[in-house]
Amino acid sequence: MAQATWEKSSTAAEQLRRGTRSADRMKFIVGGVLILAAVAYLIISGTATGARYFITIDEVVDNPEYVGQPVRISGVVLGESIVYDAETLRIEFTVANLPAEFDNLAEALHIAAEDEGSTRLAIVVENQVKPDLLQHEAQAILEGELGEDGVFYASSLLLKCPSRYEEAGPDQSIANPEV
Amino acid sequence: MLAEVGFIALFLAFVAAIYAVVAAVYGGRKHNDNWVHSARNAALLTLPLLLLSSGSLLIALINQQYQISYVWSVTNPNTPVFYRITALWGSQEGSILFWSLLMSLFSVGALVLNWRPQRRLMPWVIAYTMATLAFFIGLSLFLENPFERYWIVGNNEVVQTALIPANAVAPAATRLAQTANGLNPLLRHFGMIIHPPMLYLGFVGFVIPFAFAMAALASGDLSTNWIKATRRWALVAWLFLSLGLILGGRWAYDVLGWGGYWGWDPVENAAFLPWLIGTAFLHSVMIQEKRGMLKLWNMFLVIGTFSAVIFGTFATRSGLIESVHSFARSQIGFPMFAFWGIITLISVAMLLWRRNRGELQDDHQFANLLSRESLFVVNNVIFIALFLAIFWGSFGAPIISELFLDVNITLGTDYFMRVTPPLFAALYLLMGIAPLSAWGTTSLRRLGRSLIVPLVLTLLSLIVFVVGGMSDPGAMFAYGLVNLAGFVALHEIWRGASARVRTLNESWPRAVVALFGRNRRRYGGYIVHLGITIIGIGVIGSTLFQQETQRTIGLGETLTIDNYQLRYDDFTEAVATDGRLMQIADVSVLRNGQQVAQLRPRIDVYPQQPMTIAGAHSTLENDFYVLLVGWEEVSHSTATFKVFINPLVNLVWWGGLVLILGTFIAAWPTEPAVLRVEERMKNRRMRASA
Repeated sequence: MAQATWEKSSTAAEQLRRGTRSADRMKFIVGGVLILAAVAYLIISGTATGARYFITIDEVVDNPEYVGQPVRISGVVLGESIVYDAETLRIEFTVANLPAEFDNLAEALHIAAEDEGSTRLAIVVENQVKPDLLQHEAQAILEGELGEDGVFYASSLLLKCPSRYEEAGPDQSIANPEV
Repeated sequence: MLAEVGFIALFLAFVAAIYAVVAAVYGGRKHNDNWVHSARNAALLTLPLLLLSSGSLLIALINQQYQISYVWSVTNPNTPVFYRITALWGSQEGSILFWSLLMSLFSVGALVLNWRPQRRLMPWVIAYTMATLAFFIGLSLFLENPFERYWIVGNNEVVQTALIPANAVAPAATRLAQTANGLNPLLRHFGMIIHPPMLYLGFVGFVIPFAFAMAALASGDLSTNWIKATRRWALVAWLFLSLGLILGGRWAYDVLGWGGYWGWDPVENAAFLPWLIGTAFLHSVMIQEKRGMLKLWNMFLVIGTFSAVIFGTFATRSGLIESVHSFARSQIGFPMFAFWGIITLISVAMLLWRRNRGELQDDHQFANLLSRESLFVVNNVIFIALFLAIFWGSFGAPIISELFLDVNITLGTDYFMRVTPPLFAALYLLMGIAPLSAWGTTSLRRLGRSLIVPLVLTLLSLIVFVVGGMSDPGAMFAYGLVNLAGFVALHEIWRGASARVRTLNESWPRAVVALFGRNRRRYGGYIVHLGITIIGIGVIGSTLFQQETQRTIGLGETLTIDNYQLRYDDFTEAVATDGRLMQIADVSVLRNGQQVAQLRPRIDVYPQQPMTIAGAHSTLENDFYVLLVGWEEVSHSTATFKVFINPLVNLVWWGGLVLILGTFIAAWPTEPAVLRVEERMKNRRMRASA
């Protein structure tokens, strides 16, 4: 029964309408594919230009193939090494290797800064105001490249100091009111 | 005492929320009103309990109860009262509690306001909102408890627990006060004080549309009811989220001292992702309301928004941003990931179940490429593309490379600066065209005709820019698109008002007011578009035309940038009431030899770290932004300054205000709704007097 009614209504006009509908559908599909292709191209080409290996100080120092490659590294700032020339806005300092994995950032930073045997790397940052957080045992996340001279030339510098706030608790001395 | 009250109230709120879920699901399935009412009462009860709990923490912060470890870690005796209050959301434990309070506030609001009209959806709305609430309260109770206290046990050992250990002694209050941490100086800024609450309000606000959508799926009431009930909730959430993002940018601009406001940092992106998908949702619900189309897609978007909210919260709080490994070790990482995964899976499964039963069929088919619904779909596709691109850049690439390639690959700012501008450009283009196309079908000729006036205005504006000295073709193209979107919005308002002036003989101001009153949603939307246009003009100007320089100059000397000069006048040192040492340079800003401002860029030295505070001379045209970066130690005879000129940057903030105004207009209750409430009140009064 349903089949019969459908047959009856399927006139020439109806068929024409369905024809244009499928042509419209085609347009939507082509448009959609074009948009998706453009977006995919953007993301892939962006990834190709913007991708950086995020590696440790050990890795960048030990592997000569990283020389001249844009990379991102993370290390511990050694406070005494910081030299800042406010006139030229040139910052020089040394970072020590921070392991890729650790349980507590504050603790890992402290241990890495104390460890005399850890790998050190000299950093130069040009044309940047000395960040407020650049201090001993801060975690520095640097983007840039290792030069032939063994110095890391950073184009961006990001700092974290987890130990200063939040994570630290009072030391045991509060247990002794006389102190 | 305060800790006990806060902790017990929190625990009771947890019990109430869980009971509400169980009672609502049971009552909903058995169609038993008593159980549903009982669930509602339990849900309503969470608000006073959470108020009591947060209130206890607040009083503890104000009264300096340093035995509570949260109070110890975010305040100290030098902290001003104002920052004691804001410390409530200054750190992890407090902010999760605050999150729960806001979540409860929104849920109670939705239950009270939508109870009658959406009776059938309500059991499921209770179940979803209270399950989310119970999860966050659970985080506070079991993992990030803000009421933990310090105790001395046994061999003079200090422990931190929520329950009092056996034979414990409280540490001396004076010792605790002396050692307390204080609020991170970076957070002492008005933008940082209201930015987190705004962001949280935006986040929790989107839980309400999500809960209604899930209630629609659970109950089988798949009409536009859930959309009607939640449109305003979605708008309010969207408004708060927008405000949170803008204020966050303002904070970065004022405090971080790099002359910019958006750094494509994963934390920023995590808050931007729900905004993108939520904005797509706000547009596509209109198609379902007007044409009964995209039912499945709207469900998908509302689930996506909620999922992005939970993902954003979890990504920023769990250490995922640093590394997959640190996330795995953080206490709240796995619970949050599990919650996010389970909620998303359940939602998608329910959606597919209804779809396979054929209950989400669209009433119409897409007929015309230039119809408004088609353009809205393209708008949605671009929003989702932006979402995916930013998600990939901030989380996708680093996580996938770490999990599967065993290397960590991150994408820098250059990735975002390459991928996002074309997509933003496409959005502005659509913002210009879509409002002019009609529902159902539009001809190219008709669309072209209505574009003539805005196009002419755009060309004129570009000529003004060229005369003003702009020659960069990329900037011209960008301004062309952005200005077109703004002129279309203005022209549509003008057209509507002038039609009223012509046909109804109204005066212009009256016609404009009436126009907005008659269709708040449409014209409020145009004002929002105008706000986004203004923000766009500001972003393009401050990104493409920023100038910077730095130099060391002696007292009385000047440095020059563009047609400005900066003169170093004096150096002052002062100690603020909270103990920080302020080192201040007094400088004058001259433009073409005329003095326009005196600024005091400074460095505040807190015990923990120094903090650079920029001086800025703000005009609509630009910001003259100065940082004090160094000085001759003893004599102060020379000082070094870094100066930025940020053209049009203030339009970003002004555009934000316009956006707020537009959202208010669009979300304001229409008269029938107001009348309904008044009617109800009157009925109630009559019943009371009878």
